[in-house]
Amino acid sequence: MSAPPAVGRTARAAAPHAPSAPSGPRPWTRADTVRTTLAAVVVVGLLVLAAWLHTSPWGPRGGVSLLVGTALGIAFERGRFCFWCIFREGIEDRNTRGAYPLLVALAVGATGYALVLGLFLPDPHAGRLPPEAHVGPVGWPLVLAGLVFGLGMALSGGCVSAHLYRLGQGHTRAVPALLGVLLGFGVGFATWNAIYLAGVSHAPTPWLPAWLGYGGALAVTLGVLALLAALLLRHAPPLRAREHAPMTLPKVRDAIVRWRWSAGVTGTVVGLAGVFAYLRVEPLGVTSQLGSASRTALAGTGLLPERLTGLDTLAGCATAVVQTLTENGWLVIGLVVASFAAALAGGRFRPTRLTARGASSALLGGVLLGWGAMTALGCTVGVLLSGISAFAVSGWVFAASCLAGVWAGIRLRVHRLT
Amino acid sequence: MPRSTSRPAALAVPILLVAGLAACSSPATEPLADDAAPSAAQGVAEAAPALDARSEVTGFENVVVSTDWLAEHLDDDKVAVIEVSVDPGLYERGHVPGAVNVPWHTAFVDTVTRDVVPPERFTELAQEAGIDKDSTVVLYGDSNNWFAAWGAWVFTLYGHDDVRLVDGGRGAGESEGRELELAAPTPARGTFEAAQADPALRAFLPEVVEVATGDREATLVDIRGAAEFNGEIFAPEGVQELSIRAGHVPGAVNVPWVEAVDEDGKFKSVEELRALYAEAGVDGSAPIITYCRIGERASHTWFVLNKILGYDAKLYDGSWTEYGNAVGVPVTNPAGTVWGGV
Repeated sequence: MSAPPAVGRTARAAAPHAPSAPSGPRPWTRADTVRTTLAAVVVVGLLVLAAWLHTSPWGPRGGVSLLVGTALGIAFERGRFCFWCIFREGIEDRNTRGAYPLLVALAVGATGYALVLGLFLPDPHAGRLPPEAHVGPVGWPLVLAGLVFGLGMALSGGCVSAHLYRLGQGHTRAVPALLGVLLGFGVGFATWNAIYLAGVSHAPTPWLPAWLGYGGALAVTLGVLALLAALLLRHAPPLRAREHAPMTLPKVRDAIVRWRWSAGVTGTVVGLAGVFAYLRVEPLGVTSQLGSASRTALAGTGLLPERLTGLDTLAGCATAVVQTLTENGWLVIGLVVASFAAALAGGRFRPTRLTARGASSALLGGVLLGWGAMTALGCTVGVLLSGISAFAVSGWVFAASCLAGVWAGIRLRVHRLT
Repeated sequence: MPRSTSRPAALAVPILLVAGLAACSSPATEPLADDAAPSAAQGVAEAAPALDARSEVTGFENVVVSTDWLAEHLDDDKVAVIEVSVDPGLYERGHVPGAVNVPWHTAFVDTVTRDVVPPERFTELAQEAGIDKDSTVVLYGDSNNWFAAWGAWVFTLYGHDDVRLVDGGRGAGESEGRELELAAPTPARGTFEAAQADPALRAFLPEVVEVATGDREATLVDIRGAAEFNGEIFAPEGVQELSIRAGHVPGAVNVPWVEAVDEDGKFKSVEELRALYAEAGVDGSAPIITYCRIGERASHTWFVLNKILGYDAKLYDGSWTEYGNAVGVPVTNPAGTVWGGV
């Protein structure tokens, strides 16, 4: 069912985002000070929790995961790092501005990964894949999963990571969407064994450094990213004139909490967070804990296959039957809470009213997201961001099929079902 | 008595009977039969002769090193440090400076045939790790050295005598906040050549069946948890059931491997270890065979009995996943759990 364009605009406006430059004269008020102080307390609380985790049974891996999640939550919220927004604005509005933080993140991530991979696996030609890096099998299931995931993004209004950070902004549609993701994982588990035998077990796992070495793989990746950046310039909005005014503390404060972060800052923080995560814990991903929660909840109900064939031998956002929070759980907690803090400080924490139609479309879209993320062994963060950074062909294939899914979703106007 | 060494068991039987066990101490020089591919598992077809498994180098001070000792010997050219951890990715995110990583699930085993790595590949692995014949090989790993101990057994099996474990394994260095390194080293190529697998150190199914039926004297030490030993479960929680019978080899005693270490993962004192196994009737007066589920954890107990206490102990690496699936062998199943039953 189609809605008038005005509704679409309204729905888009529901994704609150900061003005990109000094947005007029709205003065800093006492309320801003109170909100920012509260936000600072929340962030300090996260840091203290990370310090405690360091000495807890979760150890440094838990602490580092929470810190990485915190950095991501702030960068996602402040830079509006949302794959759905990037794709939709590019397709529907012919505005490619949002793509630049992603391209920067991939360039920073790939450069950092080249350094780390050189330490972890000095000889990329040895016939081994780097430990745990998200280098996945490339076959029709990956393409199908990307398409379905993209469709789910259009229907639910975001990918998994976006729903997590927008939960922090008070976006209530994220709740049914994330519930849908849990259900979708369950459906994914149920269909996994058949799909694994039909299309995953014999699929190749191409990894650029195995052919080109680390230098060659990095050169090719940066080259492709630069080419994309150049091609997308055509539809990039004009730059705002630089303000010739002295840098003052209030301006710095506004730049941090109110103005939208630049592509360079957002992309660098996200890219570095990915490198730090891989170096210290595991490749960045946001679905491992969600998938594990789904698997744990369904284990013993008889609804899941007794054994998920080959799943535990594949690199990706691994799921397991767990009774507790994993490191990935701390990352997700850090992401949501830090995004809340960033939104609160900037006055962008605005709980939205949930409609029945919005909730149902988000739930259904979430199911598609969950199925896609389970079948692709990760989402736009795990497979696309961490995969391309690690020079996996699977990352590029997932990106392309996801974009195609989003395109189809927009053509079918499913994103207007809010 | 020094261990008799290094002949494929099937060929060695008649020669050993004539020459006498103790006299046979030269390395194998006779080629294998033309149609026999070199394999670690010579002697599968029949039970091995009664070879003494006692190692030449034994005693706590000769086979276990502290983290302090390790820190002092990091620059020693004659010390080769190897990490064998169960969890992938641990080594890469920080290891003892200069330590070489050996992935247990591909490097120490043959990935097609169920067997330890063949001798040529083991030679390659050891030389790449910079190991010479006279190197001191020091292994450590996660999970209280489970798989490091498996590595120590494979090194001993292929004729490297000076093999040691770091007391407490990876966890000891971590809890002490020891220096870790990220870069994987590229050591100068070593000269170690694997001997033929030492038949004295390895038990195969026929030999274990002979022990079970009382036709051979040996003490079987089952190091799994009590619930597995008693046949209440087929495998520990979270681990796939790979055997279709529950229980244990008749006559085996149950001493879970974990009883050999303190809470911090370090080995108990020699006196405590001796008393622990003596209580179960294992005092070194009879040959010992250790086994577990897939063969790796039992190498931890093998290390304690053979290398630390100096007993005549060998490893049955086929363990329960072979024995519990073998047709027609005697089984003791106190709990009576039926496979596939409801």
